[in-house]
Amino acid sequence: MSKEKFPEFVELIKSKGKLFGPVKQKEKYSFEEIKDFSELDFDYQRTIISPKKFITPAKYSTLRFVKFGQTEVLPDDEPQIVMGVHPCDIHAIKILDRLFLGNIKDPYYAKRRENLIIIGHSCLPDDKCVCQSTGTDMVEDGFDLFLTELDDFYLLWVGSDKGLGIAIEAENLLEENVSEEEIQEYVRWQQERSSMFTTSIPSYKYLADIIHLNYDSDVWEQFGEKCLSCGTCSLVCPTCNCFHVDDKIMMNAEEGIRERMLDSCTLPYYSMVAGNHDFRPDRTARLKLYYTHKLKEYIGRWGQPSCVGCGRCIAYCPVDINVITVSNALFEEVCETQEVCDQ
Amino acid sequence: MWQREKKPVVGIFGFSGCAGDQLAILHMEDSTIDFFTSADIKFFHMAQSHQEVPKVDIALVEGSINTERQLKELKEIREMADVVVALGTCACYGGIQYLGEDVETFKERMEYVYGKSGEVPEFLDLVGQPRPAQPISEYIDVDIMIPGCPISAENFVPIYTKLISGLLPQKYPMPVCVECKYEGNDCFLLHGKYCLGPVTAAGCNATCPSIDISCIGCFGTYEGANYPSMIDKLKEIGLSEEEVIRKLKLFGGNKVEQALKGD
Ligand code: SF4
Ligand code: SF4
Ligand code: SF4
Ligand code: SF4
Repeated sequence: MSKEKFPEFVELIKSKGKLFGPVKQKEKYSFEEIKDFSELDFDYQRTIISPKKFITPAKYSTLRFVKFGQTEVLPDDEPQIVMGVHPCDIHAIKILDRLFLGNIKDPYYAKRRENLIIIGHSCLPDDKCVCQSTGTDMVEDGFDLFLTELDDFYLLWVGSDKGLGIAIEAENLLEENVSEEEIQEYVRWQQERSSMFTTSIPSYKYLADIIHLNYDSDVWEQFGEKCLSCGTCSLVCPTCNCFHVDDKIMMNAEEGIRERMLDSCTLPYYSMVAGNHDFRPDRTARLKLYYTHKLKEYIGRWGQPSCVGCGRCIAYCPVDINVITVSNALFEEVCETQEVCDQ
Repeated sequence: MWQREKKPVVGIFGFSGCAGDQLAILHMEDSTIDFFTSADIKFFHMAQSHQEVPKVDIALVEGSINTERQLKELKEIREMADVVVALGTCACYGGIQYLGEDVETFKERMEYVYGKSGEVPEFLDLVGQPRPAQPISEYIDVDIMIPGCPISAENFVPIYTKLISGLLPQKYPMPVCVECKYEGNDCFLLHGKYCLGPVTAAGCNATCPSIDISCIGCFGTYEGANYPSMIDKLKEIGLSEEEVIRKLKLFGGNKVEQALKGD
């Protein structure tokens, strides 16, 4: 598709439901509802909150109850379309799908997910992107459409029936045949992009083992001392999905709602169970959970970490605790004691 | 769904503070009428004129304790109430007036104002002899704390309605940062500006950061606060130790005092 056709293409997409896309707001980017094409800004690295907000929103109700009855509150049917989603965030949605749509389907997630159309967009990394390490810098599925932006045209990938439907409708905006030259340009762009990554997770291949070997290392204490237990890292991470449930009774004491809100394992009562028993009363134990869960346990369970390298923890933790600083510190620890660092 | 045999008797008592929390209850607009009908409100300092203190099931206590007479009344409330709720940051942690709690200078200040005896003369003594401001938990057992300067309806209502329904409110401490990220805000600390969100209890819906103003901590201390790390962070962005402590103490009351002493 040539670039001149792009606004018209966006118009067409907008006719399919509520359109959201990356918008610049002062120094940050955010996925916001798009009324006009000019609001979109695809030249971004990361939004503070990932597209998980469309499928596991920060706060929502699941039940309305009165004294002698209750009704389930399901999300409404309105289709939502999110444009400009980067490969890392698409991989994150694939991880969330695995969790929420596995053996036990979460009805609230399922409904939102069904009504979500994902239109991916290519990106160029900054010094905080580590998706190359985690192998999530490219996507083959998990989107409905994906746009790769090259100098003066877009390459459009179709990833689902819904995506195909849109592509067919947009027939007169798209060119069917991709020339050899255009393919060459794409390959060159890919190579150039791959060489732009400046940050990586050290010895990523052995990360699960490194974490295992370091389970009792002092490194965790050092991070625990610094951590503010602010929860930011979980809330911005596109794969973190823990939530907390509370019943809220209205002022009339006659009716109420059950609410789910995003939680974080870095918060003090996260691991508290009935009888006030707390498995992880200190920050060190909680951070260790965050990172071993993401970078070790997931690999054991799914063959892949639950970090997609989006760089949000790197960008937004106020005290620099993130996948890079943690894995670096653990790696150095192993280097001091083992002979595995010179691979 | 839940058991509620009769409407519990509720009393709202005010000690030293701006009375903003009582006002916040009256200002709940949509919910104000329900507030007066969902429980048996027997005593409401700001809204009712009778002065007889009844026996109550639930006492909502606003303000810090600043005089001998308040202290005596507070103890009486504890005696007769099944549940005592500290309402607002003053009752929970001492409030801004806690800044003047230093016993040594307190005596000096009293002498400066009232002369050598350092006591309020009898003809002026309407509320009892002054004492350094303290949160109510300094003197009595408090069952539930609902901080805020003033409290927010969104935070107050779900806790209160559970209490009047005979249920135990869930305690789940979160800092303002969690609500700030619910709102999708950028973070001051990443742009070299101070913000007390990480050490402040959530409940306000991150009101200030959401309109681009740093949190000054008016909801009091967050149970998971890491003061040493917060102090380091604020020093790193250019505040002096003195400034940092002053900011933390503004609303942090006795909790910040204890934390700084290393308790
Ligand atoms: S751990 Fe950090 S880099 Fe990895 S997906 Fe989460 S926020 Fe992104
Ligand atoms: S690791 Fe950083 S972002 Fe996460 S809770 Fe601790 S201080 Fe906050
Ligand atoms: S702006 Fe303040 S409240 Fe918001 S995340 Fe940053 S420190 Fe926390
Ligand atoms: S953001 Fe901070 S200062 Fe503002 S209302 Fe909330 S607790 Fe108070």
